[in-house]
Amino acid sequence: MIEVTNLVKTYGKKDNTFNAVDDVTFSIPTGKSVAILGKSGSGKSTLMHIMSGLDKPTSGSILIDGKDILSLKQKDIDSFRSKKMSFIFQSFFVQAKESCYDNVSLPLEIAKISYSRRKKMIEAALAAVDMSEKINAKAGELSGGQKQRLAVARAIVNSPKILFADEPTGNLDSVTGGMVENLLFNYSKENNVTLIIVTHDADLAKRCEIQIHLKDGKIDSTRGII
Amino acid sequence: MKITDIVIRAGRSLKQAKARTLLTSLAIGVGAFTIVLSLAIGAGGRDYASNIITSNTNPQELFVQPKADANNDPTKPQKYTEGPSATYGNYSVKLLSQSDVDKITTLDGVESVTPIYSVKVQYITTEGQDKYQVSLRSFNDGVKLDYLAGNSENISTNNGILMTDTYLSSLGFSDASAAMGKKVQIAVNKSSNLAGIPESKIFEFTVIGVVKSPALAASPLSGMQIYKDDIKAIYDYSQKGTAMYGEYQGAIALAKNGADVKVVKNNIDNAGYEAQTAEDLMSFIFNFINVLQAILIGFGVLAVLTSVFGIINTQYISVLERTQQIGLMKALGMRRRDVGRLFKLEAAWVGFLGGAIGSGLAVIAGTIGNPFISKALNLGNTNLIVFEPLSVLAVVVGLIIVSVTAGIAPARKAAKLNPIEALRTE
Ligand SMILES: Nc1ncnc2c1ncn2[C@@H]1O[C@H](COP(=O)(O)OP(=O)(O)OP(=O)(O)O)[C@@H](O)[C@H]1O
Ligand SMILES: [Mg+2]
Repeated sequence: MIEVTNLVKTYGKKDNTFNAVDDVTFSIPTGKSVAILGKSGSGKSTLMHIMSGLDKPTSGSILIDGKDILSLKQKDIDSFRSKKMSFIFQSFFVQAKESCYDNVSLPLEIAKISYSRRKKMIEAALAAVDMSEKINAKAGELSGGQKQRLAVARAIVNSPKILFADEPTGNLDSVTGGMVENLLFNYSKENNVTLIIVTHDADLAKRCEIQIHLKDGKIDSTRGII
Repeated sequence: MKITDIVIRAGRSLKQAKARTLLTSLAIGVGAFTIVLSLAIGAGGRDYASNIITSNTNPQELFVQPKADANNDPTKPQKYTEGPSATYGNYSVKLLSQSDVDKITTLDGVESVTPIYSVKVQYITTEGQDKYQVSLRSFNDGVKLDYLAGNSENISTNNGILMTDTYLSSLGFSDASAAMGKKVQIAVNKSSNLAGIPESKIFEFTVIGVVKSPALAASPLSGMQIYKDDIKAIYDYSQKGTAMYGEYQGAIALAKNGADVKVVKNNIDNAGYEAQTAEDLMSFIFNFINVLQAILIGFGVLAVLTSVFGIINTQYISVLERTQQIGLMKALGMRRRDVGRLFKLEAAWVGFLGGAIGSGLAVIAGTIGNPFISKALNLGNTNLIVFEPLSVLAVVVGLIIVSVTAGIAPARKAAKLNPIEALRTE
């Protein structure tokens, strides 16, 4: 359960301030898929960053399974993120010069998973995105869709509870995009993982159980929230 | 993140920028090369010097002289003081008399005192051979000698002489063992004889051993050695009756076995003389080596300092290039401290590589160069460049520390990076 209450993020100084996120309140039950929609500049990414603890709000609170993540110390937020959360970005952010294996290994290393356990987890994650045969290939040599699948493998390797995806299909053609979408939705359903997708794409948003429309930082409308 | 994983990731990032890593390391390597080589030269030089000291002097021996006036200005007329003195031009040096020698003998820790008999002999020869100049000195059993034949066992009873190997062929001996037991004649002239009637005497000795010339070929100690009573006999014959008889420029005091020469030196100094230990006498060599080494190390340190800026620069560039990677790692929950460590460890790798390359090359250069240097400086089998594994290790470790220090500022920049900003850069 993620509970967001009266969240405000203000940018700028003095007369020039504006709220990128403006008094946003909603809650998401565990295991649901959520789309955050809105025009460019409406505050989608900012909201996602705050929910994941990457950014601090100006005011408001976020409870994840009852835990107030804003009251945590930096190192506890870091460790919370490494154990419970994962990210997929529009521009993949895979390390081009590293092998697929080493790319997927990174979150496990950060979470201090022992060397002996890693190999199995990495192989399983790559198998889940159908990239087993690329395990030793350099990430830079992959196609765009393969890169994003690699990013999905990296995101799911440590079995997160919440998966954040910022425009995961924005750089992909519709077929490849659909494939990545399927991966995410299936993973979310099978493992009861909360999936939060930031997107412009109305079709992608329709596949989500919950939709939150943002307009100028405010919630414009929602669907699927009980 | 575990430190081993950070080390591996740091190594991998460096591998991905091979040329840059290598060039940055090479800058440090120049410093490492210079420092390791200077340390090795210093170590070798000191080894060599202490070798000379032990093979030419007895560490238990002290060279005793009368005390020189502390505020002695040789450019001004000197005050007259009572007691024996030797005069050189209008400048005189005080001498030790027999009573001084006796007094020093009674001091604490002194085993025996032998005055330095300055004997001048005319020549040495053996049957059927030419006459050669030679210098003689008193045999000292505390000095290590390199025997080619024989030994010093019977030197006190047999009128024995220890011959230096350089005289072998001149005196017609095919090798060291051929000289053994042979008689040699040494001619001494009497200094006290009056007005022009030259008088000299032949002293005969038996060769009981042949020794290698000491390392310092020009050393005044390079003469042949005979027993101290024989030296005294020659001294008595040549000097008795002269004004200088019984006055010595110095004496050799032998410290008791187990006595600390430094303490004995103090005792003698306090009694109003000036004593120098073997180490004191050779300390100028050490000083010279140390100064030379310090200068060389200075150059090395300068090179390292320059390379520090290289490391700072490349590490900053590396942080900028990898902004996204840093952002991703932080988004995935990597702690600030670990991000900082990653970059510090990369700097450490650079330092290690530079240190290893530089000292490796230094060891190779030194090993190749040693025979040439020894040959050019006529050192025989001695090596002038001696690498001590521990000091090489210390240099490498030191350079790692220097590199890490240089990497602190860029590492801090990486650690402080805001992941959101970092991930926004496309
Ligand atoms: N660090 C910042 N300083 C000032 N303004 C910012 C900062 N970050 C974001 N903003 C502003 O906040 C608003 C919301 O930005 P955000 O990135 O959340 O939009 P978005 O909905 O994700 O848009 P897009 O769909 O284009 O990614 C924008 O107007 C943006 O300019
Ligand atoms: Mg955005």
